[in-house]
Amino acid sequence: MLKYLKELTEISGPSGNEDAVREYIKEKISGKVDEIFIDRMGNLIALKKGKGNGKKILLDAHMDEVGFMVTNINEDGTLSFTPVGGVDTRVIIGKKVKIGKDVVGVIGYKAIHLQKDGYMNTPKYSELKIDIGAKSKAEAEKQVKIGDYVSFITSYEEQGDFIIAKALDDRCGCSVLMDLIDENIERENDIYFAFTVQEETGLRGPAIIAEQLKADIAIAVETTTSGDDPELEKQLWSTHLGDGPAITFMHSGYVVYQTIFEKLVETAKQLNIPFQYKMRTVGGTNARRYALTGIPAGVVSVPARYIHSPVSVINRKDYEHTVSLLKEFLKKIEF
Amino acid sequence: MANKQVELKTNELLLRLTSISGPSGYEDEVLKEIEQIMSPFVDECFRTPMGSLVCVKKGEGPKIGFFAHADQIAFVVTKIYEDGFLRLSGVGGWDPKTVISQKVWVHTKNGKLRGVVGFMPPHLQTTEESKKVPDYEHIFVDVTMNPNWKDISIGDLVTLDVEGFEKNGTIFAPALDNRASCVAIIKAAELLSKIKTDAEVYYVFSTQEEIGGPGARSGAYISEIEYGIVIDVTHGDEDVPGYPKIKMGEGPAVAVGPVTNRKFVEHINKLAGRYNIKTQIEPIAGRSGTDTDDVQLTRIGVKTALISIPLKYMHNPYEKIIVKDVEDTAKLLAFSAAHLPEIEYEELQSTGSVKEGE
Repeated sequence: MLKYLKELTEISGPSGNEDAVREYIKEKISGKVDEIFIDRMGNLIALKKGKGNGKKILLDAHMDEVGFMVTNINEDGTLSFTPVGGVDTRVIIGKKVKIGKDVVGVIGYKAIHLQKDGYMNTPKYSELKIDIGAKSKAEAEKQVKIGDYVSFITSYEEQGDFIIAKALDDRCGCSVLMDLIDENIERENDIYFAFTVQEETGLRGPAIIAEQLKADIAIAVETTTSGDDPELEKQLWSTHLGDGPAITFMHSGYVVYQTIFEKLVETAKQLNIPFQYKMRTVGGTNARRYALTGIPAGVVSVPARYIHSPVSVINRKDYEHTVSLLKEFLKKIEF
Repeated sequence: MANKQVELKTNELLLRLTSISGPSGYEDEVLKEIEQIMSPFVDECFRTPMGSLVCVKKGEGPKIGFFAHADQIAFVVTKIYEDGFLRLSGVGGWDPKTVISQKVWVHTKNGKLRGVVGFMPPHLQTTEESKKVPDYEHIFVDVTMNPNWKDISIGDLVTLDVEGFEKNGTIFAPALDNRASCVAIIKAAELLSKIKTDAEVYYVFSTQEEIGGPGARSGAYISEIEYGIVIDVTHGDEDVPGYPKIKMGEGPAVAVGPVTNRKFVEHINKLAGRYNIKTQIEPIAGRSGTDTDDVQLTRIGVKTALISIPLKYMHNPYEKIIVKDVEDTAKLLAFSAAHLPEIEYEELQSTGSVKEGE
């Protein structure tokens, strides 16, 4: 277990630019599944056939991560940029980033000594620039072009029971799916493993999946904000790291299909797998998109701190319990 | 003094010295490294009671000191929560918006521990909260990932885990304020070890500048110098209304104003011209906010100059500097010291105590 997470998180793949992630996953799962194909939008779908008397269960994890795009190359050689997905400007200043395949730069900010009143206002993207050390527009144009994708650079790290990395949202889900493929579970059901694109820009990848495969149910395997820090009273926490996978009953724009929610809870209880309810209803997942396109869907998440930033944190035990929960759930045949 | 060793590479020195953390009051590790690098170029090295490192190249002529502070801004732990979170306070002036979502090291008595700086998840903030940068009462450090986080105590120092890198002669790294100046002095010492001069040179790497502390002054006091050049950094490539823009890559900025000695500054500018070193002018009408202000007033007074290396993104996790500016600064320092006897001669001439032809 957890063989792939390090490499998965260290790949750059903002929404619309998931190619490198897809190549990596495809290479690793080839030969372990019955069918594998890439659809028109770039979703990577793998089928592992069951013994034939079961349902078709789709597991979804999105390959994309939040990042940025270069929108202009300025006269002074700096780059203007805009977020791809939701990234708060307060988490990106003073960070190293990668533009395109290998150009490194820094999101710098005017020295605090020179800032005027209002320096405690959240900066706008229009005020921020990436500095790649180019002294002029011409020099910058030799290295980058408008439209290049930009991503964080953070090396994966394990400390105690915790994992610290970028892009855990949702390479963590991709890693869970890959581990489940490796588990080779004995079951009746056919399982579709859908590694999807463009979740962060509006749950877009899975929108075309229902037309392609007639799955009976879908489960979005995600990370979810925890908020379990001193800034919030305990009763306002969404989830707590170390308490097990989070099972969602409702989130932004979707009340989880009741039978799926109950089956997930029941599975965890039967096998004594620690789990927690997601206690706030903000945020959204691809489950909503599956539901909108006619596939009843549920959500299982690994609680995470500081997602949508260069450095996020999950608990390894939560991850392991997520794999165990889904492994058992995939054997269920009644929905 | 060994002159035969391989020339030190400025870019490598910059990355080497910025990779060591040395918060104000805790500069020892950096100073040890500097002392080791400096020792082939000088006759002796010692520490002042305030911890500053002084390296001396002996000479019979006028005495000059070069000063660079070796400390950097950092944080200190001010509160520990029972579930493994900390609050911080800055040691020196940090912009809070550059600190969120950084990995940090917490320096405990039993070694360093990992931390991640966080604030309330943006998803969970109210509209009002999302309009403001949180202050240090609302930024925290998550240390829950360390099984032994209880080793942390209030007063432990915290530094950012940021690694410098070079791109085409430009360095992005933490603490270039003021390790860049330390490197300029080291390179000047290397040059002066190869130039014949009568000047006696004190290389002072001082402590506690970022908090306005006593490091440089103690160095100036002990060395009893007549001339002193403080090397620090100044804001490069920034528009400051009513002032000339100090440009990155256009050479060091030589300050003019009451904290500097006019004749000494003229001497430095003359040598810049003679050796084709590009410089810029930085007018400072009052106190400079650098160690120059203190060095000038030490003992019976010191004839001071302030030379600043242009630096962008000061006090950011990644500061930016141009390698050539550091090298030009080193040359200017070395030649200014080597030709010091000239100013003495000119001074004597102007007061009539030396006759032409003597």
